Amino acid sequence: MFPKLKTGAVAQYPAKRTLRFSTDTIRFLDGSEQRFRDNPSVLHQWTIQLDLLDETELAALDQFFVSNQGRFGSFSFTDPWDGTLYSNCSLAGDTFGFQLQGEMRGLTTLIIRENRT
Amino acid sequence: MIYFPQLSSGAAGQFPVKRVHSARTVVNEACEGYQIKLADPGAAITEWHLSFDELSDQELAALEALFQAAEGRLTPFTFLDPADNLLAWSEQQNQAVWQADPLLALTGGVPDPVGGTAAYQVVNSTASMLMLQQSINAPASLDYCLSLYARSDQSSRVWLVRGSATDARAISPQWTRLTSTGQLQDNADSISFGIALDPGSVVNIFGIQAEAQITASPYKQTAEMGGVYPNARFRDDTLTITTIGPSRHSCELDIVNVEYL
Repeated sequence: MFPKLKTGAVAQYPAKRTLRFSTDTIRFLDGSEQRFRDNPSVLHQWTIQLDLLDETELAALDQFFVSNQGRFGSFSFTDPWDGTLYSNCSLAGDTFGFQLQGEMRGLTTLIIRENRT
Repeated sequence: MIYFPQLSSGAAGQFPVKRVHSARTVVNEACEGYQIKLADPGAAITEWHLSFDELSDQELAALEALFQAAEGRLTPFTFLDPADNLLAWSEQQNQAVWQADPLLALTGGVPDPVGGTAAYQVVNSTASMLMLQQSINAPASLDYCLSLYARSDQSSRVWLVRGSATDARAISPQWTRLTSTGQLQDNADSISFGIALDPGSVVNIFGIQAEAQITASPYKQTAEMGGVYPNARFRDDTLTITTIGPSRHSCELDIVNVEYL
């Protein structure tokens, strides 16, 4: 499971959620188009932008990244918008960085992506 | 051993500190959106960006000496992550990195002070003092702070082991964060951290943490890697120093740890 903050929240404002389809388009010489879907359904992506974290919270996120080996691992993630559990998600990138600007002033961003199952 | 120096305050770094972990995953994505992934843990990279302000002449000299000893990015040195717990497996005292004296009984899955069950119960049922400790490959001469949460219904004290120093700390049935801090007159290339129990003691422990600084920061959980990087290097061959007055220097450093080098 994706780690929660000390408040019990997963995300902070501003939070971003993306819905992603994949559509192939073939355009013909006469200008008409034929479109078909690559993916059978929509996939979700969440951008978790976190600020004012303490070192314990940052360490939990860092351990989560390391234990997942970047985008290799998969985990379940509960959409903070509607509480839907997505059982097969991964981190979107192979990089996790944070900045400690002072005590309890950690800053980081993670992107979570729903995998096709 | 060449190692990254501490500041004269005993601090390992200054804010802001920036750290980036990078992994490498080979991904083959099918047009339907399915992905086949292959991890490449050997290609992991950790990078730090450190900013230093108001360094004294002595502090700057130590940094310059390290840069010259390492010959820029040529030679590795030991770097103790200022934003991490130096001990590995901080919540799994049954791992091999923890050396428990024979007859010291460890039981995991005990309720901890943060609402989980990651604490350990340590029982010394013998008639002599027994220890649980972990050794790290870091210079023993630096300032260190050992911290942990402890409680006990039966015992009134526990010993914190920081190299050759052992400090007794009072404990109660309530979880209390204990610390032991200081610098040793010891030039060894390794140092051990842990606890020692009086004969007949039963102590619950959680969140054991060692840091190369003079006070404890919030607890940070670790797994197989603690914050000791014996193969760190400078990322660049240049070190630029800005001086704004007598004994008032500043510089920025990029340090990288690459597993496959």
